[in-house]
Amino acid sequence: MNLDSSKKIVGDCISEITDGQVVPVDDLNLIGKDACLDSMKLVELCLALEDKAAEYGFEFDWTSEAAMSRSQSLFRTLNSLSKEFYAQSQLKQ
Amino acid sequence: MILVTGASRGLGRSVAVRLANKGQEVLGLSRTCSDLPFQNVSCDVSDYAAVKAVAQDLKKGGKEITGFINAAGIASMNLALTTPPSVTQKLIQTNLMGTIYCCQLFAPLMIRRKFGSIINFSTIAVTLGLKGESIYSASKAGVEGFSRAFAREMADFNIRVNCLAPGPIKTDLLKGVRDEQIEAIVSRQVIPKIFLADDVCDLCEFLLGQQSQSISGQVLNVGGA
Repeated sequence: MNLDSSKKIVGDCISEITDGQVVPVDDLNLIGKDACLDSMKLVELCLALEDKAAEYGFEFDWTSEAAMSRSQSLFRTLNSLSKEFYAQSQLKQ
Repeated sequence: MILVTGASRGLGRSVAVRLANKGQEVLGLSRTCSDLPFQNVSCDVSDYAAVKAVAQDLKKGGKEITGFINAAGIASMNLALTTPPSVTQKLIQTNLMGTIYCCQLFAPLMIRRKFGSIINFSTIAVTLGLKGESIYSASKAGVEGFSRAFAREMADFNIRVNCLAPGPIKTDLLKGVRDEQIEAIVSRQVIPKIFLADDVCDLCEFLLGQQSQSISGQVLNVGGA
């Protein structure tokens, strides 16, 4: 996995949970003002990424103290979440 | 599968045994594993990492969780002024934080299937405002407040969250409480009688089942308050 494929995975998950209503672009806001997802969809996104991570042989942990305390930055945009997803894939392989 | 915390004794054990006897697959969580008639794992609910480890194992095992009963709890009957900070901390950590941790970490296992019922144990002492139970009540009042809000957060996922608030029921938790104290509490219930663990088990079965599908975000005081 590289950062681009990570972005593709996150983008695909966003498309899937929003039934294609949201077009995934790098600076897509996931939380805060102008967020494309409500809090429930954000949870669904995390669960979808957990599943994807399992397919790639690692665990995507969004419930750790570190991840949760950085949630404002972690979930800020598609790009930031993709970076975290990629980073965790590298850590746990 | 139905998860039950505090499953090694008291009401948690009674509920877990009832469900297992009814043919449900039950996983009990408790600090000390003992010889129980259902699957059980050692887990201190006040330890986030320990709860998370159980949740991860369940996820890896692909178990379908349909119900979760948060019965783990400790009690300390003392005046607030004579309760040491360490006891206060322990009560809040186990009763309130333990409930929050378990809900945070086990609810995602239900969200995947968009189905489930969560029962958090409170106490009738919250509503009655019982003397000598101020800190215990505070921890459980926190559970009730958390459960009401969490019920709304989970509603979109078709997961119901309710509280059961028993009055005095003869379990280990009541050891050390004098009979006259128990009578004084019972007399303030709407139905002034001592209920049995079986009565609480009946309510758990009801709240887990489809017959209660319209009930969420509620506190059911056993015996009425």
